[in-house]
Amino acid sequence: MKASGNPIQAPAGAARPAGEWKFSDILASDPRIRQKWEKVRKYFFLRESTYDMTRKCNIRCEGCYYYRGEKAGADGIEDPEHWRQLMEEEKQRGITYVVLAGAEPSLVPELLDVCYDRIPLGCIATNGLIPIDKKVDYRIHVSVWGNDATSQQVRNAKNMLSRQIQNYGDDPRAVFVYTFTRHNIGEVYEVMDQLAQNNCRATFNMFSAPAGYAGGLAHDAQSLEKTRQTMEEIGRQYPDHVIFSPYHRVVHTHRLGLHDLFSCPYPRANASTDIGLGRSFRQYRADLTWKRDTACCVPDTDCADCRHYAAGSAVVTARMFRHAACPETFAAWLDYVDVYLAVWVRGYEKSPDLCDRHTAPPAHHLF
Amino acid sequence: MNHEANFEQTVLGVAGIVIEELKLEDVTPETFDPDLDMIDEVGVDSMDLATVALVLQDEYGVRIDEEDYPKLKTIRMIAEYILENSPVKT
Repeated sequence: MKASGNPIQAPAGAARPAGEWKFSDILASDPRIRQKWEKVRKYFFLRESTYDMTRKCNIRCEGCYYYRGEKAGADGIEDPEHWRQLMEEEKQRGITYVVLAGAEPSLVPELLDVCYDRIPLGCIATNGLIPIDKKVDYRIHVSVWGNDATSQQVRNAKNMLSRQIQNYGDDPRAVFVYTFTRHNIGEVYEVMDQLAQNNCRATFNMFSAPAGYAGGLAHDAQSLEKTRQTMEEIGRQYPDHVIFSPYHRVVHTHRLGLHDLFSCPYPRANASTDIGLGRSFRQYRADLTWKRDTACCVPDTDCADCRHYAAGSAVVTARMFRHAACPETFAAWLDYVDVYLAVWVRGYEKSPDLCDRHTAPPAHHLF
Repeated sequence: MNHEANFEQTVLGVAGIVIEELKLEDVTPETFDPDLDMIDEVGVDSMDLATVALVLQDEYGVRIDEEDYPKLKTIRMIAEYILENSPVKT
């Protein structure tokens, strides 16, 4: 999707440096800014937590976060009544959005039913090899790690993409999440071609190394730059099938990880329990326990290398205040939040980007 | 204007902003309990508070640091914060 009308670039009335703008003046600087602000702020009620559904998986992927750390040893509780009670308690403490993950949620369909019945906004992170009943109307994120040859090598699964497309092609719940590693950057062209031909929409993730990971998938400076250029080209080629923004490209391929750029608000990296994610977020293991000191959206990721799409959706979004420095920076943030909502919330549609160029994160250089 | 009157006026002004920005119903600036814990008792979260903080900055000309959010739990605490940090001292 292209920027609508003239992109928002240099602050209007440019004599004013960033940081000296009133918020009301930023909103008044361009009607599209106010329009997008009013659109996204309706979703500020979302309060997320994440849940590992089971310790079972039908494949084994290199660098999978689930099989790292203590949580991998947690015995799965698969009694729907326990989950019904948990969801009820989560609702009571204000959780409005659930992320159902690890190891493979599609292997416990009865638990998905229970969660959806109690908290109807959420997302399931799946490898896409087992179809999930359409009555579970969550967003479904189907993970893609390259072409079929690479999937065979890294995930030990044959014909992965064609099986994923067979299950989720033309499914309005599905967003395919292409994870860029250091080695699969160029493969995105053939993958995206197949996805677009089958009316599938995609967004991008960055491989973020689990703590202690010594494999070859982690990014380096060269692969970050190449990924950024590739994301831009792919976005231009498939504007109706790629859900991303120029600001996503900046913050997810920056030499600094998300924590260093924005200070991660998840409990694991944030001691404060006063407000926000530090107060409300929990990451439940498959045995329905949780620990504050390890709780984040992708536990056991090395924080210094975290550029994960799920992390960004919370880390960047939570930093509205510091992005409200000038029209361009705020517009970039609005584009980011607009994409986040389109990727994570059923029924939310992305609007055209306000910014069509790369914008530096607050208090940091571009890249 | 004496300090007490100024404080009361600030409390009403802050309450008005909070009500408008958070679209709270069945309450007016005059009836809003200034000691109500907005996080625990109203359900305000960080995004709501950031929005309120931005509007307060515009309205009162104060600079609010993100680290100070925990000091902004009630209308009274916000009013005190504003008066303490206001560029125009009364």
